[in-house]
Amino acid sequence: MMKLLPFSYAVRNLYRDRTRLLQTLGGGALVVFLVMGAYALNDGMRETLRASGSPDNIILLGAGSEESMQRSEVSEQAAGIAEAGVAGVYARLGTRAVSPEIIHMAQLRMPGGVEARGLVRGVTPRALLVHDDVAVLQGDVPGPGEVMVGRLAWKRFGVPPADLVPGARIGFDDAELTVAGIFTAPGTVLESEIWMDINDLRTLAQRDTVSAVVLRLDGGEPEDVELFTRQRLDLELSAIGEKEYYDKLASFYAPVRTMTWITAALIAAAAVFGGLNTLYAAFAARVRETATLQAIGFRPAAVFFSFMQESLMTSLLGALIGAIAAVVLLADRIVYLSAGTFRLSFGPETLFAGMAAGILLGVIGSIPPSIRCLKPSLPQALRD
Amino acid sequence: MNRQNDVLIRCHGVTKQYRKGNNLVTPLESLDLDVPRGDFLALMGPSGSGKTTLLNLLSGIDQPTSGSIEMDGVKVHALNRRELAAWRAHHVGYIFQLYHLVPVLTAFENVELPLLLDDMPRRERQERVEAALSLVGLSDRMHHFPRELSGGQEQRVAIARALVADPPLLVADEPTGDLDRQAADAILGLLHELANGQGKTIVMVTHDPKAAEAAARLLHLEKGRLLEAVS
Repeated sequence: MMKLLPFSYAVRNLYRDRTRLLQTLGGGALVVFLVMGAYALNDGMRETLRASGSPDNIILLGAGSEESMQRSEVSEQAAGIAEAGVAGVYARLGTRAVSPEIIHMAQLRMPGGVEARGLVRGVTPRALLVHDDVAVLQGDVPGPGEVMVGRLAWKRFGVPPADLVPGARIGFDDAELTVAGIFTAPGTVLESEIWMDINDLRTLAQRDTVSAVVLRLDGGEPEDVELFTRQRLDLELSAIGEKEYYDKLASFYAPVRTMTWITAALIAAAAVFGGLNTLYAAFAARVRETATLQAIGFRPAAVFFSFMQESLMTSLLGALIGAIAAVVLLADRIVYLSAGTFRLSFGPETLFAGMAAGILLGVIGSIPPSIRCLKPSLPQALRD
Repeated sequence: MNRQNDVLIRCHGVTKQYRKGNNLVTPLESLDLDVPRGDFLALMGPSGSGKTTLLNLLSGIDQPTSGSIEMDGVKVHALNRRELAAWRAHHVGYIFQLYHLVPVLTAFENVELPLLLDDMPRRERQERVEAALSLVGLSDRMHHFPRELSGGQEQRVAIARALVADPPLLVADEPTGDLDRQAADAILGLLHELANGQGKTIVMVTHDPKAAEAAARLLHLEKGRLLEAVS
């Protein structure tokens, strides 16, 4: 079995050049911080969009607008006709879960004068039947002249949470709307929306159509809804499962996720090159020393292994710092994209991804400098 | 024991060549040399005469282009890189001009390095390291780092490291070249004692005539050939 150099040799080598140590630690920490941030963002986005769609819900959209509820236009009569025409729709206390909704991107005036764009959903009380993960946290559902704000809407509109509490006033064009309540819909994009009475929104948005009709099935099959849209071609409807809709939305954000990863990868590459540079210098200064160790009888592989230990210790320490920084600075941070707000999610996989990046950095960063250090022949290395 | 059996190292027709740019350099050519066990041999000669090359060949750091080197019946010239490393660990101790101590290890840890190549219990390692450091007069400096030692002390640590595994051969490349006269004399006295008292075979390269006087035998090298042997 190959005899290894003492572990203390690798440990003490870390302190030989404190500037180098700090550079390598910083590089490793930065890479792990970015990888964990990117992973958490992607994970949060995927989880939120996944959770936003219910497998029991079917959305009726205007034909040709399957990819965007905002662009969709559906006849006002469609909800009533679907309620009567589709079998197997969930009902509670005789009210069937068929919710006409208007989705509108609006410019709103927040308390304090802040103006910001955000998603407003015009709803009827039936919306709570189809969006069963929505619960009123505080106050009440909105009546005419009122709105109900999602728990994370303050983040979207860039105001303090205290500005969006029941009783607060929000401006929409010439209208002043009162916040009637706050709702939650854990882990979904709905939490960043503002809900208001559908008739108010129809007037304010100057529309004579709704964006979509959402149905909650109970015993009915998606095919029944599909059949309904084909029987009522005059309504020009298209049916899509709510889950499928949000899956499509998630794939729409694939380029954003890719860009996040590319950015992280570019910075990681820069850190690898920086690390390589520092290690080249550090190991190059030890050519004669490592030749001496080989002259004593240690095999080049033992020296290589010691270099690897040294590099891995630094990168893992950097990874630990980066991981702690990511958890402290990023955990539960809320990020806004037009599809909604996403909470950065830090699970064991995120930590694993960060640590894997740290290990990879240590391994890749140490191989070329080690090879270069061990390349000269022993007589030459002892002379240098 | 006859003379034949008393020879530790036997070199026959040893030639070393290497390329430097477009030129073929021959630092050693057709060299024959026998080194008896317990010999203290000094190698002198001008720069580029092949002294260090010969030392590297004798100690298995380098290999000859042609010819044979045998030590204790082992054909050193025929060993591969891995076998050479294992052979060096048990048969050769090195003393370098600039000591070549590992700066992040203490004197004790530096001396312990060759013993880590064997499956030796920690207690035995400790005893042997302490004995080696005691032999070179540095028992009170064993937990000092090289930067905390003088040049002479560093060279003593290097000597302790060279002999701790009890190799039959010690090679020394200008061991006093970086020391003042007083420290150099102390080191030479120590080498003399190792050869005469401990029976070590020592091959030493030196430019210093005074150092060469400490040896039992002196050989001159010039342009890769042994010119003269003085007993």
